[in-house]
Amino acid sequence: MTDPTPKLAPGVRLHGDGSKLLAPERILELDEIAQSIVRQMDGTKRVSDIAAALSKEYNERESVIRKDIDALIADLAAKGYVKL
Amino acid sequence: MSLPSPIGLLAELTHRCPLGCPYCSNPIDLVRASGELDARAWTRVMQEAADLGAMHVHLSGGEPLTRNDLAEIVNAANVAGLYTNLITSAIGLTPQRLTELKAAGLDHVQISIQGADPARADAVAHFKGAMKTKREAARHVVEEGLALTINAVVHRDNIRDLPQIIDLAQEWGAGRLEVAHVQYHGWALANRAGLMPSRDEFQTAAQVVEEARERLSGDLVIDHVIPDYYGERPKACMGGWGRQVIVVAPDGRALPCHAAASLPGLTFANVKNKSLSEIWKDDAAFQRYRGTSWMPKPCQGCERAEVDWGGCRCQAFALAGDASLTDPVCALSPNHATVAAAIAKDTAAPRAPYRFRRIGG
Ligand code: SF4
Ligand code: SF4
Repeated sequence: MTDPTPKLAPGVRLHGDGSKLLAPERILELDEIAQSIVRQMDGTKRVSDIAAALSKEYNERESVIRKDIDALIADLAAKGYVKL
Repeated sequence: MSLPSPIGLLAELTHRCPLGCPYCSNPIDLVRASGELDARAWTRVMQEAADLGAMHVHLSGGEPLTRNDLAEIVNAANVAGLYTNLITSAIGLTPQRLTELKAAGLDHVQISIQGADPARADAVAHFKGAMKTKREAARHVVEEGLALTINAVVHRDNIRDLPQIIDLAQEWGAGRLEVAHVQYHGWALANRAGLMPSRDEFQTAAQVVEEARERLSGDLVIDHVIPDYYGERPKACMGGWGRQVIVVAPDGRALPCHAAASLPGLTFANVKNKSLSEIWKDDAAFQRYRGTSWMPKPCQGCERAEVDWGGCRCQAFALAGDASLTDPVCALSPNHATVAAAIAKDTAAPRAPYRFRRIGG
């Protein structure tokens, strides 16, 4: 499986309270899990690193978390919020 | 029904602009430089907008770069926590200015283009060399690591160039392309006969966008603002009157829509004497067409009443002569035939010469 390093696309940033992504002309509400995933995207962490970190935080198996992350990131990338 | 917060502030910083686009949405009666709000007033407006819940500010005009204090205004918006979007023709967007704006916290730059072919695009902009300047500015934006949107207003003279416009947006490094069909307000309404494409041309354009969206998914986001005149149901203009956006005109008047100043019978409060929050909550002009209780017949009780909010007031006024009627674009409107009549008349007419936008009409 590929293990990309996702980061927010240029011009995309978290709103001050961390609950939304702001992009040109668009706002995306993030649920709690999505917020934690997005907060981990610092442009240095690979998807596997993020999965490991969240697996600890949520006390859940990494393979399960990994599925959520892959799905979210694919969705955010297709919508232009995230670059891989 | 509780009053929602505005999502965005459209800050029309000035009506001055070096270009003369015949489809400009500014009113025919443009505000002069001497009547513009100063940076201090804009600083307060930014904070008030953020306090009211707005998240985006669109710094628009006219051409915002004609203001020497633009960086100060961007900084104020940034300090207030707003996402700052500069909407520009790129004339005057030198590397120095860009660096200064980026340092002030600018999040995003939207550059408008008038077409893909430089000679024809410059003719529409009424400005020699505009395209070349835009290309260079776009390169600087990307080099600075700022996000870039290309905005292309399409009409009769450039709609066939849409594939090249899409290529160009990609080539220039844009992350997003906005393909916006002319909306007939202000100068665009005065030039409608020269701008209106045929239905076939519009349908071809829609297919081109669909195909490109699929092909470029993940690389280029394409937003397509479809022309009201070829729809069966209107759009929620501005997301509904007084629901999502608050517009502040160069002279400080607060409007529910950038074209609202052309509607008869409305007077607008000025941010010089009132806070944005007072205006948003209580101002009579914002209340006038807010929600559903003002609605006339086919809208009253219609299942789409809270989807499109009865469409565009300015269009109702332009086509049916009364801003409080259902938008004639809606097939349920008793005035729907006026749309077809306008299309037939404008597309059959020989291409009318443009009336280029300029201060002093
Ligand atoms: S539409 Fe053209 S003329 Fe109007 S403000 Fe924009 S660049 Fe200037
Ligand atoms: S009747 Fe009014 S509310 Fe219903 S679709 Fe038409 S414009 Fe919208």
